[in-house]
Amino acid sequence: LSSVPLQILFYVNGIYYIFYFLATLAMIVYKGEVFSYPDDFLAPDLALLFIMAILEVLRLYLGSKGNLTEEEAPLGLSLVITVGSVILSVYFLVWQTYVLKADVIINAVLLFTYGLESVLKVVAIAAFVS
Amino acid sequence: PPETHATARARTRSGPAPVTDVAKLCICDLLVAQCDVNCCCDPDCSAADFSLFTTCSVPIVTGDSRLCTQKAAIYSLDVEANPPERIFKLIDQVNPSVFCIHAANYKQALSFSSPELPTSENFDQLLEQFGSATFSAEPDSWNMNTDAQNPSDANETYRYEYAVPIQTVDAFLRLPSPVVSSWCSDANPAGFLVNQATKCTRSVSVEKCGNIQAVSMLFYINSGILAVNITVQSVVVQSLNGMRTLLNGSDVLRLPMILDELCVNIVLGVSYHITYTDAGEIIEAAASFVLGAINKEALSVQQSFEISFTQVNTKPVPLSGNPGYVVGLPIRAGFRPQGYPFPVEILFAPNTNKYGQLTILQSTSNQDCLAAQGPRTPILFGYNVVAGCKLRITAAMKCQPLTQTLLDLLKGQSFPEYVASFGNSQAQDVLDWVPITHLRTSEQRIYNTFQSSCQIPVSLEIEVKWTKYGSLVNPQARIVNVTATTTTTVLKQLPPGRERTIPITSSVVFTDISSPAEPGYKAWPTINAKLPFDFFFPFV
Repeated sequence: LSSVPLQILFYVNGIYYIFYFLATLAMIVYKGEVFSYPDDFLAPDLALLFIMAILEVLRLYLGSKGNLTEEEAPLGLSLVITVGSVILSVYFLVWQTYVLKADVIINAVLLFTYGLESVLKVVAIAAFVS
Repeated sequence: PPETHATARARTRSGPAPVTDVAKLCICDLLVAQCDVNCCCDPDCSAADFSLFTTCSVPIVTGDSRLCTQKAAIYSLDVEANPPERIFKLIDQVNPSVFCIHAANYKQALSFSSPELPTSENFDQLLEQFGSATFSAEPDSWNMNTDAQNPSDANETYRYEYAVPIQTVDAFLRLPSPVVSSWCSDANPAGFLVNQATKCTRSVSVEKCGNIQAVSMLFYINSGILAVNITVQSVVVQSLNGMRTLLNGSDVLRLPMILDELCVNIVLGVSYHITYTDAGEIIEAAASFVLGAINKEALSVQQSFEISFTQVNTKPVPLSGNPGYVVGLPIRAGFRPQGYPFPVEILFAPNTNKYGQLTILQSTSNQDCLAAQGPRTPILFGYNVVAGCKLRITAAMKCQPLTQTLLDLLKGQSFPEYVASFGNSQAQDVLDWVPITHLRTSEQRIYNTFQSSCQIPVSLEIEVKWTKYGSLVNPQARIVNVTATTTTTVLKQLPPGRERTIPITSSVVFTDISSPAEPGYKAWPTINAKLPFDFFFPFV
């Protein structure tokens, strides 16, 4: 049976990620105006943000599909992509050029969501396999 | 050798590290090893000094306030305690804003970067990066302009524009002039068509007579203007007491030399006359010199220089205005040559001092008429002049020669017949010249029936009537009428042995007879609305 909490979490994650993406983009623009943000540092930050957005879309789609069709393969793939998303989120939390307090807050929330999702995915995969 | 390499590498680091510890940073600590007043963070102050402070000029020293947490050093004075003491607190200040910088991985973001110190390795790269034309190593780079000016100059004559320095073989023609003080500086170039006259002081001495270049004729002739040699036009020798004599032969170059403890032939004045064509080429250059002598006591001489330009094939007649007379310029006057009943071309003499100018007698210091026969002053437009002298008449003087002498004295050697009505009147324009009217009056009111008694002229009054001519905003002065009135008086016969002194006066008066101006307005515009000729065609 599909895991309802996981599906709810996917839905909430999707909405939250839209907010996260816009907020991070806005903050990068703000940092570029207020602080000294040379192009060699700005480009990697922006590129990683867009890569993270693509990964997130993929991850949520695969996870949702796997959960609803009760297949473990897409769900497993989604779990693997989650690892990449976690690394990117840690980058935005720790290794970004400027880490503002707001960045810390939204990335912490995102990491918490990822952690909860991963646990629920593992449980769901275990349920589907057996 | 390896030691120098290591030291060289060590030297490529930047300057000293900036102070960032807030506990040690004190901006009011200006005096070294001394306590600054009211500076609570000064480490040189002792507790006794703190007790004398009234406030803390620097209450808080913080790090970058954009960080989420930063250290802050707070200095305050506790005035309640006896004696007052300084309180120093080191706290962590928290920035409440949600957009404070939690961490920054870009090290240079939060402080000013120390600039690279130039060493022998990176000097060229730094010069290329930061140096521009001002610091470029080759000064020839900003001479490009003059190179562009002389590319095809070698064989053709150089064409000048107004105020361009006149080129000579080595640099440019110099007209020494005073710069800050009155000492001569040789760096003043003579500009084309710029008439200059300068006076400056040169230090000389009899011992260095032959060595000072700037007082020798050779210095001023030597630098030939490009393609033209400077010829010597005339040489005037001035003696020690100021008398000047014109030398006949001007071909000989006179160099300074010592003669009888005087240094003679030193240049006191140079006057250049440059002739040019209307295309801007210089075709002739002449210099007139005034040479003088100095004695042992002289430490400096005053030199005067001037340069004037004349266009080729024209006579240099200075205009007194264009077209109206300018106040202060001499009145142009002249004669009509004899034997011409109808002047086709009236030859007027130019305004040289020799002939044809309207002049007035010059008062001398001893007011003796017979001594005043020499120099006369030219009459300048707009300046009313009164001059006079006293004539001592003895019994032996005869009437007729006395009359003639006085007439010569009053009118001068060659009193002109015509006066130019405009400042730029040409000799060919007959109608532009005003004839001088002569009047005679007698001093005695009662007409003396004795015609045979001697009448001698005692006063000449020249009245010049002028008017304003032309537009309202720029009126030009135009001479309309010139009247010369000679007043005569009867010379009574003196008993022998007695003498009389009579005053002789001469005056020039300029009268403005211009009528008040009437502004002329254009006609009112009319609306020209008429029906066409064949408007009512079939019926008309």
